[in-house]
Amino acid sequence: MTTDNATVPETSYGPVAHHFNNMGQQHATVRLGMWLFLVTEILFFGAAFVAYTAYRIWYPKDFEAGSAALNAGIASVNTFLLLISSLTVTLAIRCAYVGNRKGLIRNLILTTLLGTVFLGLKAREYQLDYVEGLIPGNVALTKEAAENVLRARADNPNLVVNNFNENLKVVLKHNGFQGVPGKDYDPSRVQLFFMFYYGITGLHVLHMVIGLGLLSWQIVLAMMGFFDFKSRYIYVETLSLYWHFVDMVWMFVLPLLYLCGPHTFGQAVEQFKLAIGLGSGSGH
Amino acid sequence: MTATETQTETIRVATTTPGPLDYTPQMVPPPEPTDAEDATRKNYLNYDYSLFGWLFTLDHKRIALMYLAAVSVFFLFGAIAAGLIRTNLITPTGAILELDQYNKAFTAHGTIMLFLFLIPVIPGVLGNFLIPLMVGAKDMAFPKLNLASFYVWFFGALFFVYQLLVGGLDTGWTLYPPYSSKYSHTNVLYAGLGIFITGFSSILTAINIIATVHKMRCPGMTWGRLPLFVWAMYATSIIQLLGTPVLAVTVVMLAIERLFGVGIFDPSIGGDPLLFQHMFWFYSHPAVYIMILPGMGVINEVLTCFSRKNIFGYKAVAWSSVGIALVGFLVWGHHMFLAGQGYYLSMVFALLTMLVAVPSAIKVFNWTATLYGGVITFSAPMIFALGFILLFTVGGLTGLFLGTLGSDIHLHDTYFVIAHFHYTMVGGMMFAWQAGLHFWWPKITGRLYSDFWSRLAAIVMLVGFALTFLPQFVVGYLGMPRRYPNYPPEFQIYNVLSTAAAYVQGLGYAMPIFYLTASLFFGKKAGNNPYRATGLEWQTNSPPEPHNFPETPTVYFQPYEYGVKDGLSVVEKLNSGTKSDGAQTKTVGATSDH
Amino acid sequence: MTTPTNSSERHADEFLSHTVPPTSTTLTVFAALVGLAMLALLIGFSELGPIKVLASLGCATVQACVLGYFFMELKQADKLTWLVVASGFFFTGIQFVFTLTDYLTRHLGVL
Repeated sequence: MTTDNATVPETSYGPVAHHFNNMGQQHATVRLGMWLFLVTEILFFGAAFVAYTAYRIWYPKDFEAGSAALNAGIASVNTFLLLISSLTVTLAIRCAYVGNRKGLIRNLILTTLLGTVFLGLKAREYQLDYVEGLIPGNVALTKEAAENVLRARADNPNLVVNNFNENLKVVLKHNGFQGVPGKDYDPSRVQLFFMFYYGITGLHVLHMVIGLGLLSWQIVLAMMGFFDFKSRYIYVETLSLYWHFVDMVWMFVLPLLYLCGPHTFGQAVEQFKLAIGLGSGSGH
Repeated sequence: MTATETQTETIRVATTTPGPLDYTPQMVPPPEPTDAEDATRKNYLNYDYSLFGWLFTLDHKRIALMYLAAVSVFFLFGAIAAGLIRTNLITPTGAILELDQYNKAFTAHGTIMLFLFLIPVIPGVLGNFLIPLMVGAKDMAFPKLNLASFYVWFFGALFFVYQLLVGGLDTGWTLYPPYSSKYSHTNVLYAGLGIFITGFSSILTAINIIATVHKMRCPGMTWGRLPLFVWAMYATSIIQLLGTPVLAVTVVMLAIERLFGVGIFDPSIGGDPLLFQHMFWFYSHPAVYIMILPGMGVINEVLTCFSRKNIFGYKAVAWSSVGIALVGFLVWGHHMFLAGQGYYLSMVFALLTMLVAVPSAIKVFNWTATLYGGVITFSAPMIFALGFILLFTVGGLTGLFLGTLGSDIHLHDTYFVIAHFHYTMVGGMMFAWQAGLHFWWPKITGRLYSDFWSRLAAIVMLVGFALTFLPQFVVGYLGMPRRYPNYPPEFQIYNVLSTAAAYVQGLGYAMPIFYLTASLFFGKKAGNNPYRATGLEWQTNSPPEPHNFPETPTVYFQPYEYGVKDGLSVVEKLNSGTKSDGAQTKTVGATSDH
Repeated sequence: MTTPTNSSERHADEFLSHTVPPTSTTLTVFAALVGLAMLALLIGFSELGPIKVLASLGCATVQACVLGYFFMELKQADKLTWLVVASGFFFTGIQFVFTLTDYLTRHLGVL
């Protein structure tokens, strides 16, 4: 790797914190600290995936059915948004390293923007799930209860009755899923899948929000001239480590949750169009 | 130069002229400051008296004191809960509590003692205070993170205790669903949130300790020269780092199930309550090693100092700490032998449980070998340490009965389990904490406490503790289940015995409050190294100055250089008379008895 | 006696030796990641049957490795960092193996 800052004078490197002996020690310690934190995150999400895998071993067909009800279009677009944001945050490190304040601020803002769009699409996805009624709970476990629900809806077509099993059937039919409820999958098992879906993507969203907060803070710091000392690029690098990790989690979330069940590319495009309001919004 | 100093100069030959900090412990430290100097000397306690300076301090020593204060208060709450439990068990039908109150009492006792006392106490107090001193650094690697870690823990703990007080928690500290998620009418959600928040503190402290030990050691302080306390804290931090996130995600999942009424442990939709147990115990078993390893680290320091001997098998002890940390992650299923876990996996866990006992046994053998041939002083820290070895060994051995599949069928969920973990946690960890507190009290406060009262308290605690839990082994074996407020009348004698001894034990815990506080006002000034102990922390002032050392020390000596030639004569010389400047020469942390 | 090793001295040169890769490298890696993401979607939208899970997880693992090695600068990280990362995945692996053993063998009953 070449470095093009060989001619930068020492004085622009920046002050060393009082409890460290030199800048190298400070950098090495900060890097180690962030990697140690990322290990806790590996264990955190890892444990969630262990739980997911345990049930997927027991209920493979039900998990595929559940996955077929998810919006793969939004997820695909989100994947690329996160990748581009990983790129911009890496470019931001370079800007801080060479002392390019404008470039640094621009790249940090781009990263924040891409992350925000990701969250926006995610919010839309959750909203669509809500509208489609894919909220676990209030399951009609007996035939009688199911009949009550149907009767209530027949009386009042606008009535929003949360019946997960019924709603799931409708969504899967719309998505072209071939399985038959009761034979190929058990809708109440699919509720388990959906708890994982909301739980894991929810935790991912939480980590994104924290990341966006940190990015905003660094944008403010950059505007205040904090990164004019070139040695402080380490803090952009540390933040980028966190951001890349969040991206890495998404790389596993995508195949495990979204692409686990049958989807087609055309379907994904339709779903994305629906999400941004261009779709035909065909009735359920 | 006195005769002592000339003599010891022949022991160690330094390659350069020793500077003020480059001396071995056998050489006499610089003369103690006179009172005039002392009055103007700034230490970490008196350089700043403002509240702001305490609440927003970045000094690891002040943070350690804040932990000490908070942990002591929470210990008191846990002890009160214990008192309620034991008093209630005097009669077979429950003496003072209703059934649901009893459930809340033992849950409160368990959660407070584990999360708010045993896990944070030594890392937060002694770890924070001593690790930078022991490695020769000015502070921890991340001082602001250290302060944040304290506040996160403190406010999480306050929140948690508040939830216990306004509605209680009656699920047991293990929070098993479906009771905790579906049927309990108590504050499971908020209590779980409190535990989640305090878990962050564990993780942040661990990050700090690992980074400090890796990156902040002073010149000459190689891994092989680190005090074994630092090795133990390092191993503890590894466990905290790897284990706590799993507890976090487990509590989150439980909270989701509690909040939304649908969850992943719910059998009615195909969920598995045993999955919670897998995830819970993946953390909670290593958690018990988080609790005991720091205690073992303290014992290394105390034993070597008060038997004036080098530790037997430094490498074995150091690596066994890491071994406990790593193998401790492989045994969690032994809590679930009777819960429906698959038989093949249970066999694997039982085998691995036998394996995890080995590093602990290695330590006990090494400690015993350290004591052999040493010049033993029965000071208070030493009594606690010896008690630790005895009680922890008993606790550890009884764990083997529980780890064996066959005997566990009989003993699971009985008082045998309770006695086992109290022997290791209280007889082990609590005694180690007392040993550490008493050993380093002169360093932390600069004062010596009463030798007589501290030894008496140690014996009272020892006797009280042993008599409290010994009957519980018997009654557990006879079949009394744990967490039951009612029991068959034939068990009453054991319960009454246990309760009576528990009061004695409580008296023992109360005693240090008095003589340690008294030492702050009436105790003799300790000087740098009242015990003539090795280790960098004893080569600087008591209490230490704000940045720990006047200049960065350089380490030329191996750890625990007690047993070198003329070491005994140094001790004898020091005990026989006064130095030329008339300073105190007794090696034990003793004041004149009052 | 040799000069005592000093933790901070050993790191003094880390500041100047640790470089940030040039932009061209970053863009190349980004292109590779985009390609892998498209491959992941291709696998996901296909009907491979039983090997679909393995293929998609394999692709995700490769993506994670590329991201970690280049963007997260594991390429120039010291051995300690590699040990830290490895231990994170190792213990997650422990949790996987042991827990899933239960879920795969529980129904088998006693010997």
